[in-house]
Amino acid sequence: VIDRVLDAARRRVDGADALWRREERTSIALESGRLKAAGVALEAGVNLRVLAGGRTGVAGTTAASPDVAALIDRARASAELGEPLELPLPAPSAVPLPSVLTWFDSAAQASLDALIAMGRGLAERLAREGCQVNVSLEREVGETIVGNSAGARGSYRTTAVAVSAEVIRIAGDDVLMVYDGVVSAALPDAAELDALARSIEDRLAPALTVVAPPEGALPVVFTPAGLAAVLLPLEQALSGKTVLQGSSPLAERVGAEVFDRRLSITDDPLAPGRPYSRPLDDECVPSRAAGLVTGGVVRQFVYDLETAVRAHTDSTGHGRRGVFGKPRIRYTNLVVGPRPDAVGAQHAAPLRLGGGLIDGITDGLLVDDLIGVGQGNVIGGAFSHPVGLAYRVRRGAITGRVKDAAVAGNAYELLKKIGDFGSDGRWLGSRWSPSLLLEGVSVARR
Amino acid sequence: LKDRLSAALKASGADYTEIRLERTWSSAVSFRGRRLESATVSEDQGGFVRALNRGCGWGIASFTSLDELPRMVARAHELSRAVRLDEPIRLADTVPQVADAALDLDGDVRGIPLGEKKRLLEAYNGAMLAVSDRVVDTQTNYQDEVSEVWYVNSEGAALYQLRPEVVVSGSAIARRDGTIEKGLESIGQRRGWRSVHDFTERFRAAAQRAVDLLDAPRVKGGTYPVILDNELAGVFVHEAFGHLSEADFVYENPQARAMMTLGRGFGKPVLNVGDNGAAPGLRGTLPYDDEGTPTQDTPLIREGVLVGRLHSRETAAKLGERPTGNARALSFRHAPIVRMTNTYIAPGPKTVSFQDLIADVKLGVYACGAFGGQTMLENFSFTAAWGHMIRDGQVAELVKDVVLAGNLFQTLDRIDHIAGDFTWNEMGGGCGKGGQFPLPVTEGAPHVRVEEALVGGDVPGGAGAGGA
Repeated sequence: VIDRVLDAARRRVDGADALWRREERTSIALESGRLKAAGVALEAGVNLRVLAGGRTGVAGTTAASPDVAALIDRARASAELGEPLELPLPAPSAVPLPSVLTWFDSAAQASLDALIAMGRGLAERLAREGCQVNVSLEREVGETIVGNSAGARGSYRTTAVAVSAEVIRIAGDDVLMVYDGVVSAALPDAAELDALARSIEDRLAPALTVVAPPEGALPVVFTPAGLAAVLLPLEQALSGKTVLQGSSPLAERVGAEVFDRRLSITDDPLAPGRPYSRPLDDECVPSRAAGLVTGGVVRQFVYDLETAVRAHTDSTGHGRRGVFGKPRIRYTNLVVGPRPDAVGAQHAAPLRLGGGLIDGITDGLLVDDLIGVGQGNVIGGAFSHPVGLAYRVRRGAITGRVKDAAVAGNAYELLKKIGDFGSDGRWLGSRWSPSLLLEGVSVARR
Repeated sequence: LKDRLSAALKASGADYTEIRLERTWSSAVSFRGRRLESATVSEDQGGFVRALNRGCGWGIASFTSLDELPRMVARAHELSRAVRLDEPIRLADTVPQVADAALDLDGDVRGIPLGEKKRLLEAYNGAMLAVSDRVVDTQTNYQDEVSEVWYVNSEGAALYQLRPEVVVSGSAIARRDGTIEKGLESIGQRRGWRSVHDFTERFRAAAQRAVDLLDAPRVKGGTYPVILDNELAGVFVHEAFGHLSEADFVYENPQARAMMTLGRGFGKPVLNVGDNGAAPGLRGTLPYDDEGTPTQDTPLIREGVLVGRLHSRETAAKLGERPTGNARALSFRHAPIVRMTNTYIAPGPKTVSFQDLIADVKLGVYACGAFGGQTMLENFSFTAAWGHMIRDGQVAELVKDVVLAGNLFQTLDRIDHIAGDFTWNEMGGGCGKGGQFPLPVTEGAPHVRVEEALVGGDVPGGAGAGGA
């Protein structure tokens, strides 16, 4: 399909690039421990971008045998309204594309019965009196082809398996929900499923006791899941789009030591076995890791082709496009921590909640989930959220779950001096990080 | 197409089969700052099959290629048979509906040139940028669609629905040194081209608010009497109460069922809440849901007592109640699940005004507009777009970072006054659940007073505001 589209486009416009993607998803869902549904989803589509008259336009279709002429017409109509833009389409790579592990036979060939058995096993393991256990599994097999009229081409196949589980316990008007999930390009093995179950068990047990929250400016351990509120402003500020628009607080800080010297943030599209890894991006730019913050110093931002041209820099290979709409900047695998080289070791060995960081805390909190992350004015760095799941820490031990408390702070202030990094680094979706101990986080209670 | 659908149904070996086909025409324009980001027209189509067999669970197949329909019907049947269940899934009885239901297109967006849509959005975007040179960035979007949906099931239902939708939204970022503030405006209608004009003043006001917030202090964290404006009160009832009234939250969980027993007290007698998918012309309005059940006005809380919940056919059968027309799917890519439509807090007496709500408030917060809200079961967090302090019965200075946090049961119990000034929200955006986002819904409410609520903000002694 992609050759047909590009060949036809070449005759009618000044340049073009296109993406074809096909995905097949198989999913099962267990509700209250019972398998209730199994499903498949088949989806394929083409996204075309054309360069015409010094402008760009896009169009997409999910039709099985697309009307190529109509697709090009729509892309040209889109370009007529577009802004002037001289988009440099990448030439064919002189060296072979980087090789990266994105396909696992074990995942692609796993039968529905095998997935069902895996889901049932996890649900049985987590079952307990008075609790509702929900488990879902999804396996995706995908194929992507990208190309442009300058002759660049790339294709790859991907597998991805996502397993998630939640335990809900309702006692009177108290609702407790503990969940976790693993996402990987490979089928999770017994050790990984065991680690998933343990992660839920380890957070469920101490949550059964409810204790009063502390108050004041306190040391707080943010688990990899709890860190979302602290890292979200940075993720926005490190995007070339925000920088170009003038709304990134980091825009003029390249080369400056903005964060604790031990903090590094890298986006790595070549991380082996991760579902967001790929040898090239959706605009034919070969993948390479981008060190965004190293040793606390801001080094660079992530760009797609269009944003890079406008910012007079090069694409970092972070263009991502769907079937509809134009390519946009997106991170792949964001690695946060002191030692990015330690990444990849999946947490097959059981991890301690808090990664050893609670030992030295006299009175504080361990935060695993906050409510309302992403609402409000994220880019400025300030956040204020009620806790979804958090524990009180006293004299180096967890004493129970706290409710009716809120934590607030400013990500930029808090990350200037990091108390310590935990030993519990792990992948959570597309982000790898350990727990972080941050000092002077304001904790309010009702 | 109807013949293809009935042929595919006939060929199904399953005890129950339903098929939904969709064809959606849409266009979108977006600006970022002064620059047009993109202007596109898209056509999306696909199908969804769900099959159920005795002693088995659901088998589900979705696909973009309609040629696959017969194969996908067989696949759904096969998948259903692979899911063995001791306790069968039952569907509540409904009368199979046969109808063509076309909502008013109010200016068919398919006939309007893309260039005109660009000009409309450019005007709104320009109005935001013109407010001040402190407005450093804007993001505005125009999006419309017309969706044709065919639904058939093996009980004899056959429906054709035409569903329009149009959304214009914009955010303005104001900046001075390290201080960055945001103003938001959004208009969403289940209508067409004619319904999105004449909003320039609202976009300008949103950008002005972002600029004004640069000088506003953060609200001081603490417990206050809080008055919610119509928009925030609507978002509140959707997020904090509505999701618990979705029966799929309780139907498989005895403890949740105990918590949400019909007849339990929910708030004071002033509180009346419902969900009305049949209200004309609103964003969550549909003649039929995605199981073919007609929509209706469902009372949920009547005078402070829980009286109802929202159902699909499956949850209704399980709880021995009646389907309410709330089984909705985002698109052919998804199975229908229990969702809200247009959720509302009913107005208090016509004689009660906003002024009456604040008259006896010595120190309080007037929380306005919504940046967002999230509920984690009984706990919630809402971020107001802006707020004002209330001092000695008067609306006083503008404040920012007004985040409301609390426990649903306690907060509903503390709603002590409801004004008579009901309005429906007409925002874009939508609701997310089970990976299906954004589903068009709306909310409606009058001004509502909560006698005591926790407001986040500057906490003395903490690492407060500051920039990089």
